[in-house]
Amino acid sequence: MAAETSPTDGRHDLLLEVRAEEIPARMLRPAAEELATLLRERLDERGLALDSLETAFTPRRLVLFARGLAAKEPDREEQVTGPPVAVAFRDGQPTPAALGFAKRCGVAPAELARVVTEKGEYVAAVQRTAGRPTREVLAELLPDLLGRLSWPKTMRWGEGEGPWVRPVHGVLALYAGEVVPFSLFGVAAGAETVGHPVLSPEPFAVDGEVAYREALGARHVEVRPAARAEHLLAAMTRHAGQVGGELVEDPPLLDKLAAICEIPGVLVGALDEEFLELPREVLVESLREHQSAFTVQAPAETAGGPRRLLPWFLTVMDRPDDPAGRVRSGNEWVVAARLADARFFYREDRKRTLAERRGDLARLTFHVRLGSYLDKSARLERLAETLCGQLGWGAEVEHAVTAAGLAKVDLTCEMVKEFTDLQGVMGGIYAREEGSPEPVWQAIYDQYLPASTDDPLPRGRAGLAVALADRVDTLVGMFGLGLVPSGSRDPFGLRRAAQGVVRIALEGELAVDLDLLAVKAARLYRDQLGNDFAGADDVLTSLRPFLHDRVRHLLGLAGYAYDEVEAALAVGGGDLTDLAARVAALHEARRAEAFLSVVLAAKRIANILRDQEEQELDESALAEPAEQDLHAAWRDLRGEIDEAAAAGDYAAALAGIARFAEVLDRFFVEVLVMAEDRRLRRNRIALLQAIHRTVSRVARLTEMVVDKDEYRKS
Amino acid sequence: MHTFQDLILRLSSYWAEQGCVLQQPYDLELGAGTMAPDTFLRVLGPEPWRVAYAQPSRRPADARYGENPFRLGKHYQFQVVLKPSPADVQKLYVASLEAMGIDLAVHDLRFEEDNWEAPTLGAWGVGWQVMLDGMEITQFTYFQQAGGLELDPVSVEITYGLERITMFLGLSRNVYDIAWVEGTTYGAVRHRDEVESSRYYFELADVDFLRRTFDGWERESQRCLEAGAVIPAYECALKCSHLFNVLDARGAVSVTDRAGLIKRVRDLAVACARTWALSEAERRVAERDATRGADPQADAGAPAAAAVPEEVADGR
Repeated sequence: MAAETSPTDGRHDLLLEVRAEEIPARMLRPAAEELATLLRERLDERGLALDSLETAFTPRRLVLFARGLAAKEPDREEQVTGPPVAVAFRDGQPTPAALGFAKRCGVAPAELARVVTEKGEYVAAVQRTAGRPTREVLAELLPDLLGRLSWPKTMRWGEGEGPWVRPVHGVLALYAGEVVPFSLFGVAAGAETVGHPVLSPEPFAVDGEVAYREALGARHVEVRPAARAEHLLAAMTRHAGQVGGELVEDPPLLDKLAAICEIPGVLVGALDEEFLELPREVLVESLREHQSAFTVQAPAETAGGPRRLLPWFLTVMDRPDDPAGRVRSGNEWVVAARLADARFFYREDRKRTLAERRGDLARLTFHVRLGSYLDKSARLERLAETLCGQLGWGAEVEHAVTAAGLAKVDLTCEMVKEFTDLQGVMGGIYAREEGSPEPVWQAIYDQYLPASTDDPLPRGRAGLAVALADRVDTLVGMFGLGLVPSGSRDPFGLRRAAQGVVRIALEGELAVDLDLLAVKAARLYRDQLGNDFAGADDVLTSLRPFLHDRVRHLLGLAGYAYDEVEAALAVGGGDLTDLAARVAALHEARRAEAFLSVVLAAKRIANILRDQEEQELDESALAEPAEQDLHAAWRDLRGEIDEAAAAGDYAAALAGIARFAEVLDRFFVEVLVMAEDRRLRRNRIALLQAIHRTVSRVARLTEMVVDKDEYRKS
Repeated sequence: MHTFQDLILRLSSYWAEQGCVLQQPYDLELGAGTMAPDTFLRVLGPEPWRVAYAQPSRRPADARYGENPFRLGKHYQFQVVLKPSPADVQKLYVASLEAMGIDLAVHDLRFEEDNWEAPTLGAWGVGWQVMLDGMEITQFTYFQQAGGLELDPVSVEITYGLERITMFLGLSRNVYDIAWVEGTTYGAVRHRDEVESSRYYFELADVDFLRRTFDGWERESQRCLEAGAVIPAYECALKCSHLFNVLDARGAVSVTDRAGLIKRVRDLAVACARTWALSEAERRVAERDATRGADPQADAGAPAAAAVPEEVADGR
C-alpha cells in the first residue's frame, strides 16, 4: 500500500455506488435522501467533518459522493475515576489497586491524578482513545447504513439473502481512491463498476468521482437524476415544438421518467388521428398511466378552455437512439392497442345514459353495512337539497340534486374501472355529452375536488353542494359504524374527506351548519337502516372533534394562533365561516391592551364562578359604586355587543367587550366578591355571571393565552 | 418471421439448456402457469428445482367471443421456475430474449416495478413487468410466500405472454392473424374455441350446477387431504378455482359472495401447501435417518419433528 494514497490526515473523497437489480422508481429518491441523512448523522457523531454530500441514482444504482471527508476520527480524552486515594496509596506509594487501575487505563502510575468528589478524594486518569482511520470507520458504517434503509417493501433472494429492496450485484466503495473493505449481502466492495447493462455491460475500474462520472458518461449512464430530468424536459419541449405544439406539463411524470432510465433518450411516437375523438382527459390519462408518456397540445389560440391535443406522444427510452426505428414502432403499437381499448370502453359506456345506468349502482357496494351506491345516491340527493336549503340556494337546488343523483354512476362505467383516477371526470364528460346543463356536468366532474391540498374547489354552487354532501355522507356513515381512523390507519380516507369538508366550507365561504347537516345525514342512514345505525348524537360526539382537528390544522396554516382557534371553537364550530370570522376578529382584537385586560378578568371571573349556582341579579342590592358602575356598563354595552355579534360584526363585538376593561379592573380592586353578607355575595356572583355571558359572546376568552408581564405593566 | 410455435420451441430449448425439467402443460384448467403443482408446490422446501413449460391459461372474464383483437378467454404462458433464484437470473432472462431472436441492440428493455399477489394461493412475490419498447412481455417475480409459507430458498418465476410477444414481434394488430405455424393462423386453431367458450362462460354455464360442483370438489379436496393425498387434493382445489372464475364471469358472484368463495379456495390451497411442506420435511428426515442408520457413527434418536420447519409445524 503506497503511503501517499493512504494518509491518515487531511481530507479525501468517498465514492459509494451500490448496484442492484431495478429498484422501483418511487423508492429511489427517498432512499438516496435517507442514505445521505444517516451517513451525515453517523459522521457527526464521530466528529468526522466533510465538505459536501451529494447523492444520485439510476434504477440500477444508488450513488453517494462525500467530498472532503476527514481522514481520521479526532482523538478523544476522557477522565476516568478510580479507587479512593486512601486505598490507592499507602505511605505515598501506589498500592496494587492503583497500579491495576493505571494499567487498565493505559497510563503510568506517575500520571495518576487526584479528584475531589462529594464522597471524598479519588484517583483519576485521563484515558486517551486514538481516533480510528476513516476507511476503517466506513467499512463498519456503510454496510450497516445500507442495510438499514427503510424501503417500503423488501424481499429475499437466492438462498435467503436480504432483506433488501432488490438483489444486490455490486458495490463500488472508494475512499481516498482506495477500496473501503466491506461486503453487502455477500457482495464484496471493490473499485469496479459497469456501464449501461445492454450497451456497455463490461466491468471497469475507477479511482474517484471524476473518473467515475466521465467513464459512465462514455458508457451511456448519467447518474444524476436532475440532469436526466432536465435533459428530458428540454428535448421533449423541443420535439413538441417541432410538431407545432406544446408539452402538456406533468412534473410527477417527468420525475418518474427520469427515475426509470440510466440515459434519458427521448422517444417521439405518433397517434392515429382517429383516437383524437376520445376526450382529452382519457388520452392524457391513458398515455400517462399505461405508457408513462407525455401528450402534446396545440398552442393557445384563445384564453381559457382545454386545448386540443395533437396526435403525438413523448416518452423515455433507456438508450440514446432508436437505430432501427423498432422502439418507436413498438411503442406506437402498444399505444394504439391501449387506445383501441379506451375507445371501446368509451363507445360502450355511452350506449346508455347516466340516468339509464343508475340502477346498476344497486349492485355496487358502498359498504357492506351501509348498503349500495344506489342507496348512497338517494341520500346524496336529499343531503344536497338540505344543504341548498340551508344556504338559501333556491336557484341551484335542482341542478345540485340532479348532479348528486348521478354523481356515482360513472363507477359502473368501463372507463372508470380501467382508469380509476378518472372517476367523477368521466361521469362529468358523459353528462356533458348527453347535454346536461353546465352546472350539472361540472358538479359531477368536480365532485372529488379538492383531493389534495393544492387542488382547487369544485366550480359553481351545485358542485360545492355535491362535493360537500358526498363527504359528509361518507364521514357520518363510517363514524356511525364506529370506523373512526386511529393512528396511521385510515382505510376509507376519512381524514382527507374531513379535510375536504373543512376546505369547501371555509374557502367556499359556505355558511352552512355542519352539525345540522351531519344530523340530517345520520337521519337518512337511520331511515334506510333503522336501529342498526347509530343515533345522530352519538355520531356527532365522535365526528365533531375529528372535523375540528382539521379546522385547527387549516386555520393554523392560515396563520392563526392555537389559542384563538380554541377560544372560538369553544363556543361553537358548526358554521365554519362564522368560526373563521370569530377567529379573525380575535386575532385582531388581541393587539389591544384593553381587550387583553378583559381576557385576564374573564379568567378571574371563570375561577370565581367555578362551582357556583346560577344566581338572580337584584339591582337594588348593588352596594359599592364600583359594582354599580360595572352593572351600568353591562346594561349599556350588552345590547350593542349582542347586536354586533348577531350581525357577524365580531370586531365591533370584541371592541364592545374591550370597553369592560377599566370598569372590571376597578371592580376587582374595590369590591370583594366573596363578601360575608350572603345577599351581597350572591348578587355579585349574579352580576359576574351576566358579564361572563356577554364577554363569551364571540369566544371563550379564558382559552386565550396572555403574557401578564407584557400587558399589565400599568 | 416469428410464428407462435417458434417461440415455444425456442424458449423450450433455451431453458432446457439451462437445466430445466421441460414439463408439458398441466392437464387441468388453470388460471395461470403459477397454479400448476410444478410451480406452486415445488417452490416449497429446500430442494433445488428448475422447470419450464407452456401452459394454456384460462381467464373466463377476459373472453370476448373472438371479437377483441387483444383479449382472450384462454391464452398461453411460458412458465419458468428456478430455485434457488440464481444471481445471474436477469442475464439468463436477457439471453432468453436473444434466443427468441430479439436483438437488444435495437430495442429498449426496462424492468418496471410490479409486485404479484395471488390471494387464492396465499402467495405473493416481488418483481417487475418487463417492458420491451413500452410493451409488457414478461412477469418476473421473486416468490416470497406460497400457501402462506415463507420461502427459503427463494424461487424466481419468469412468465412470458406468448400471444403478446408473437403479436408484438410481428407488429400484428390482431391476435387471430398471427401465424401459429407458417400457413396456419392462431385464429384457425383457436377462434371457434374462443367464440363457444365465451358463450359458455357468459350465457350457457348452469350456475346451480357449477355451485354444486364447487361444493363437491371442495369436499373431495378435503377428503383427499385427510388421506394424505396432497396432489389429488390440490387438483380438486384447482377445479374449485376454475369454477369460481366461471361463476364470476357468468355474473353469479356478488360482492359478499366473492370474498367467501375466494377464502374457500385459498383455504384448500393453503392446506395443501402446508401438508406438502410438512410431508416433504418428514420424508427428508426419514431419508437422513436412513443414511445415518447405515453409518455406525451416526447419532441416532434425533426426533423427526426437529427437522420440520417451525412454521410448517405451527400451521397444523
